[in-house]
Amino acid sequence: MVSAQLVLTALMGVFLVGVVAFLSRVEDWRSYTPLVSGGGGGYGDTGATVHREKPAGITRWLTTVDHKDIGLLYGTYGIIAFAVGGLMAFLIRMQLIAPEGAVVGNSFYNAVLTSHGITMLFLFGTPIIAAFSNYFIPLLIGADDMAFPRINAIAFWLLPPGALLIWAGFFLPGMEGAQTAWTMYTPLSAEQANAGVDLMLLGLHLTGVSATMGAINFIATIFTERDDDVTWANLDIFSWTILTQSALILFAFPLLGSAIVMLLLDRNLATTFYAVGEGGGPILWQHLFWFFGHPEVYILVLPPMGLVSYILPKFSGRKLFGFKFIVYSTLAIGVLSFGVWAHHMFTTGIDPRLRASFMAVSLAIAIPSAVKTFNWITTMWNGRLRLTTPMLFCIGFVSNFILGGVTGVFLASVPVDKVLHDTYYVVGHFHYIVMGAIGFAVFAGLYYWFPIVTGRMYQRRLGKWHFWLSMLGTNITFFAMLFLGYLGMPRRYATYDFNSAIAPLDMVTLAHQAASVGAVLLLIGQLIFVWNIVQSWLEAPAVEDPDPWDLKETNQHGREFQWHERRIATALADGGEEEEAVTDGGKVVDGANETSDAASDSADD
Amino acid sequence: MEEQPGLSDQYRTASPWPLLVAVGFALSEVGVFLGIFPVAVGGILLLGGSVAGILAESGYARRPWRTLALLGGVFAGLGAALVATQLPGSSVGLLEVVADPNGVVGRGLAVAVAGAMLVAAGATSQMFGRSQQV
Ligand code: HEM
Ligand SMILES: [Cu+2]
Repeated sequence: MVSAQLVLTALMGVFLVGVVAFLSRVEDWRSYTPLVSGGGGGYGDTGATVHREKPAGITRWLTTVDHKDIGLLYGTYGIIAFAVGGLMAFLIRMQLIAPEGAVVGNSFYNAVLTSHGITMLFLFGTPIIAAFSNYFIPLLIGADDMAFPRINAIAFWLLPPGALLIWAGFFLPGMEGAQTAWTMYTPLSAEQANAGVDLMLLGLHLTGVSATMGAINFIATIFTERDDDVTWANLDIFSWTILTQSALILFAFPLLGSAIVMLLLDRNLATTFYAVGEGGGPILWQHLFWFFGHPEVYILVLPPMGLVSYILPKFSGRKLFGFKFIVYSTLAIGVLSFGVWAHHMFTTGIDPRLRASFMAVSLAIAIPSAVKTFNWITTMWNGRLRLTTPMLFCIGFVSNFILGGVTGVFLASVPVDKVLHDTYYVVGHFHYIVMGAIGFAVFAGLYYWFPIVTGRMYQRRLGKWHFWLSMLGTNITFFAMLFLGYLGMPRRYATYDFNSAIAPLDMVTLAHQAASVGAVLLLIGQLIFVWNIVQSWLEAPAVEDPDPWDLKETNQHGREFQWHERRIATALADGGEEEEAVTDGGKVVDGANETSDAASDSADD
Repeated sequence: MEEQPGLSDQYRTASPWPLLVAVGFALSEVGVFLGIFPVAVGGILLLGGSVAGILAESGYARRPWRTLALLGGVFAGLGAALVATQLPGSSVGLLEVVADPNGVVGRGLAVAVAGAMLVAAGATSQMFGRSQQV
């Protein structure tokens, strides 16, 4: 024990020395003085020019505070998390091919299930949205960068430690993955003696802090950094949804953070916030969790709705129908989403009058959601549709969102929920939204902006394959789940070898197998996606056309593509000058590396 | 740089501090919550140092050292307060409690020790830095 402490101390010491070494390599301490005293000239060239160029290699990525770089970091992080969470989902589906469980033991299944949910919501969902907003919000509103570029970077760098902690239970000795499910209901989560749970809670806490910092930054940016000609009246729809999302984050995530800290205290320091029969009791956790949890689902869905509202009109050749009402419905959803949380608790025995009021608000929230849906459909109506890959994903979004939304309305009705709660119907409902809608909007955004971010075009045929496999896979998998719910299959079970007197086992097995077939299609589709992105990024010919989607014809060339056009124009105009222009900048940074910023940019971006 | 028309070149596009702030925060949280003394102390040192650094870099503080010492003071105070909540009324039990730190005392001590180290670092560097500057 003591020796372990010593080893740890030594390790920490070495680590801190390493940090100082890193700092002295990267940082020019004297460059502060000019900044503080206001005059750049005091220390001559060094102080004034250092860091104006991005440093080269890995250091650039570790130290960047440029919103576009941070957007790329978020994006890479999100895709990696998507891969991890996706493989976990695939394992889950393989396990459930056979009633007695085909692959893994029950505890490991529980751990993977828990981790899948948390990974997808906190490590993929929120970060991938931040990838888009970091890269494109400043471009869309004509800002130089985010309001607080350094806080922006801090928010990102909290995520990798968060992910390591969340997954730590799987690979640290003497621990196992948390088996709490993503909702972490007490008393289960309070009493599970496994340090993996503590680490996961700490990791979640970090991701919450990260999201909150990001949200503050976006609110400040959208309020204060808009270009003069970007007013509230002509602010684009994606920025509106990010603004609303950030407000929701600001109210929801700190609450999750506090609830998690209380749970940690219960687990480690013998407090009794959630203890059975004391304090708030286990139900307190459910209230706190869902007061965060329901807004969280809108935190995840509003920006994707914004992406679709932004991209869908571009390929319909028309303006977004009812722009104002889409904004209003976004705001309405934002407000209402805090008044529905107890629809997750209809079966916990809460007061029936409370239940009725939460049912009413939950049904009401379907109205603004439906407003959006009708607006998307009307935008396409009689439009000149061009079925590019991003457009296909937008249409898939609308279709899947309708199924997910309608099933949600059923669940919001108390008597129906009493039958379907905790069955696969719920799993089907929210996966239609988180995979079928949010996932699809993310893909739409990735394909739509691929030319800006990479300067290249993806392979269209592979994009179509990706779409159709995803669309088929999603609908097979999650429709089977709705059906399983009707058959009474409880969610989260590692096996389902029921007595056939209580369940139609054949049909349940068949539905599970259908869901797994869908998962295979999904996996193939995503492999194609990753291949397409990576290969096109590395090898596709550069796209010189500043308007790859022919949006000028319909007067829909957005601000971000105008920026892209200016960038291409200046890059061309510079021509041969470039080498020379950068050399003196390049000399300052590290002295050794003379690669031009532009060159390393086009290689990395 | 020409490739970013419309983007300001007035601010630095690179800073080592955000990464360190984040890692420092993560380590302190893990160390303090799980009661791992070395990790808690190291994490708080890193956190305090990098917060002082980032404040100085962005011009909110004139020089990092005073900020460092101030932050250290705050941590030391917090840690001490945490320990104080667990001490018996008389100071008789003090040594025993410190020798065998229970959950809260151990954590409080870690925070306080790290805070004291930050104060010391800040104070020495302040003196050293001043003499170098002249
Ligand atoms: C049209 C509006 C919606 C309504 C009325 C609605 C209603 C509901 C209800 C009543 C439940 C609880 C079911 C139960 O556990 O018995 C539920 C679960 C859930 N919904 Fe929705 N929903 C809607 C939209 C959404 C959206 C947009 C998302 C995601 C972005 C979403 C994600 C979820 C999730 C994740 C759960 C499951 C939580 C769990 O693990 O228990 N829902 N929904
Ligand atoms: Cu809900």
